[in-house]
Parts: sequence; C-alpha cells; structure tokens
Amino acid sequence: MIIIAEKLNGSIPSCAKAIAERNGDYIKEIAQKETDAGAAFIDVCASVKENELDTLKWMIDLVQSVTDTPISVDSPDVNVCLGALSACKRPGLFNSVSGEGNKIEAAFPVLASDEYKKWDVMALLCDDTGIPKTAAKRIEVFDKIMARAAEFGIEEKRVHIDPLIEMLCTTDDGEGISMVLEVMRHIKTTHPKVHISGAVSNISFNLPARRLVNQAFVVLAMNAGMDSAVLDPLSQDLMGVIYATEAMLGLDDFCAEYTSAYREGIFGAKK
Amino acid sequence: MSKIQEIATAIESGKVKLIEGLVQEALDAGEDPTALLNEGMIGAMGNVGAKFQANEIFVPEMLVAAKTMKKGVEVLKPHLAGNSVGAKGKYIIGTVQGDLHDIGKNLVALMIESAGFEVIDLGVDVPAEKFVEAIKANPDCKVVGASALLTTTMDSMKNTVKAIVDAGCKSQVKIMVGGAPITQAFADEVGADAYTPDAGAAAVKAVELAS
Repeated sequence: MIIIAEKLNGSIPSCAKAIAERNGDYIKEIAQKETDAGAAFIDVCASVKENELDTLKWMIDLVQSVTDTPISVDSPDVNVCLGALSACKRPGLFNSVSGEGNKIEAAFPVLASDEYKKWDVMALLCDDTGIPKTAAKRIEVFDKIMARAAEFGIEEKRVHIDPLIEMLCTTDDGEGISMVLEVMRHIKTTHPKVHISGAVSNISFNLPARRLVNQAFVVLAMNAGMDSAVLDPLSQDLMGVIYATEAMLGLDDFCAEYTSAYREGIFGAKK
Repeated sequence: MSKIQEIATAIESGKVKLIEGLVQEALDAGEDPTALLNEGMIGAMGNVGAKFQANEIFVPEMLVAAKTMKKGVEVLKPHLAGNSVGAKGKYIIGTVQGDLHDIGKNLVALMIESAGFEVIDLGVDVPAEKFVEAIKANPDCKVVGASALLTTTMDSMKNTVKAIVDAGCKSQVKIMVGGAPITQAFADEVGADAYTPDAGAAAVKAVELAS
C-alpha cells in the first residue's frame, strides 16, 4: 500500500492553527512522525484563502528540512500545484487533476516534460458536471482522463485514481459504497497498472467511532483493488489492518512486511 | 398516544416503512391534514434538528427522519389546501461557482424543506448571476442559501453575496452561507445575513429569517 500521509492539511484545525501562527516546529514534527510511520508521500495542503502558493512552499521547505520522503503537492487549484513543483527537491505526487476545467491541459504537459517525468499524479473522477452519481459515469470520466494521459505519454503506473470516496452516512438507502467499489474493481481489471487511491477518512465523516468505519472501509477497498491511500499513518490500528489485509490478499509473502512493520512499532503493542 | 403524536414519533425515529400507513390512518380517523403537517411533521423535524445540534443524534438519523417526513407528505398532499406544503415560502439554494460538492447542500435543502419551505435547488457550480436570476424570477422568495466546501471557492461565495447585493435583491431576500471553511467572521465580512454550522441550525435560522 502506498501511504499518502494526510496530516499536514490546513483544513485540519490543529494544522490550520500552526499555519496561521507560522509554527514551523509543528510542521516539522508531523512530517517526521509521518515518515517514521511509513509514509510513501507526505501530503502538504495549505488550505488557506490568501497567499496559498507562498504558504504551501513554506510548508514544503519545512518538511524537506527534516525528511527525504517525497511530497504530495496538494491544492484544488491546479496553478498552485504547478507553482509549488519547483520547491520540491525530488519527484513527488501532483495532487491533483480531474476532468474539471483546464486542469489536465494545464498539468499534463508539465508532468510529461523531462523535468517532471518521474512525478506521479492523482486524478479525481469528477468533471464540469459535478461528482458523478453512478459507477458508469465515473468510469466515463476515468476513460477520458486515461486517454489524455496516453496522449501525453504519461504511463499508467504514474497515475493514482481517486474514485471519490464520499461519506457513508449520506449514501442512498441500501447502496452503501458499492458504487465506489464497483469503480475500483473496473479499474483494477481494465488498467491493472493504475494505482487506485482515495481519501480514506472521508468515508466516516459525521459518524461516531470513525476509526472503526475507516478500518472496515480499507479492507473492502483493498479487496476491490485499492493500493494507494490518503490517510493518517499515525493511526496505528488502521496501519495494522492495512498490513494484515495485504497479507491476506497474498501481497505479503510469509507475512514478512506485516511482521517487520510490527517490529518497527508501526502498529501493535505500544513499546 | 394521539395520531398526531404517533406520526411525530415515527418521523423522529425514522420509521420510513410505517409512516404512510400512519398518515392514512390519521386521515381516515378525520384528523385535520394541516395540523398533521404542522404539528406532527414540521414540529417533529424541529425536534430532530435540535437533537442533532445537541449531538444527541447523528447525520444518518437526521437524514432518515427527513426522508420519513417526505414520504408522509406525499400521502398528505392530496388532502391539503394548495399552498400548505411550503407555506413558509420559497428557499433558493445552491453550491457556489467552482465548487462541485453537494452532500452538505443537499442535507441543508432537505432540512429546510422539512421545516416547511418550498426549496428551489440550483445544484452545484452555480454562477452568481444564476442566483440573482432565480431570486428575480421568484419575487416571493425571502431566503437564499449558498454553500462552499473548498477554501478556493470562498472568493466565489463572496462574489455571490456581492452579486445579490449589487443586483438590489437585498430588500427581497436574506442571505445564508455555510460549508466547511465558512465561519461567522467570514459571513460578516462578505455581508451575508447569517452563517449556520449545520443543517439543523440552518433550518431554524431559515424560519427565523423568513418570518
């Protein structure tokens, strides 16, 4: 599982406070902890209204002062993402494009260039008509995005697809998240090299005991093909469930990853 | 328990499967349809909103209560005088331009409808002019609600409020704003009439602003 660590995000109140106070130590501390917990990328999202690009670059510099873990440059504004690329010392994750507006036209030529050809890219399955309500419509958006990626020569293994995980508690009666899982299974079957990702904790929004809902979701999603995820790696139980599920899916010979992650203290009994 | 009380209880506890039968029974027993609507249903949803605000119930419980009421209203409708449903007036709602998120907006719309409004839902990614057009096309509408989930669309929210004010619609409508990044301070800054943090509070505020 490719862990994209989510805690450096201005939409989280404690992080917003640190950003507002320009508390660099907080940013560094979280980045270090996420690295220690096994993050493959450290997501950095300023989520501020004014000076978003400058704030994002300030955060990226701080993260890179304590860790070599690649950055996931995160903004709903594609120009902010593009503006922050040069601040990154090594290839990371461009988070994100979607079928909306000119995001792909703006981002793909840059990501196809020699300078940024080692970057991965997150693509969200929405477009100018909104967040599609059916699996067929999301797959349509997926096909369009992949067609554009192919035109630009962006390889499938560089693409992470976020099928858009919405909160469970407002899904229509009896549907649950079966639609999202259907999208995941389709992608896994038709484009096995594409990474299937998503923001895991969205699923439990507005429900009590959220961590249990998150854990149940990752098991289902991984079984449907999810191999990348935006989540909190400091949530030890969630990490344990992920390692255990990988082993059960036959992705971890002799449970080697599971046992070594346990030994490293990523989950299990507190030492 | 009175028939009205039974209906109120069924809505509060989200008994989707029972509500139609209960409403029919009450009608057959000669209960006043308007009282069933106002005291049984709208009153019950008021309690639901209050419980949600007090953290006693969760979003899906509020959602199923509103859906239960909607089902009950369908049975009631043919028996009500023309304008009883939506008697609190019209409520125009939408997610601002550049923002595609509709879950929160839909929940607010459902609660506003449950409070007795006729909701005109403009959908997502709604340009400011479209809000203005809808307000002008509905001169009897007194409250409008704008939603935004992203920090990047807060400017769009600001433009929406400004467009409504600039179009001279402030004498007609009050403006409510909400969504994850929105705060009371932001609402004050852009000149909105009200900010509410959740769907239950939005329904209460809408009633207050419409009266």
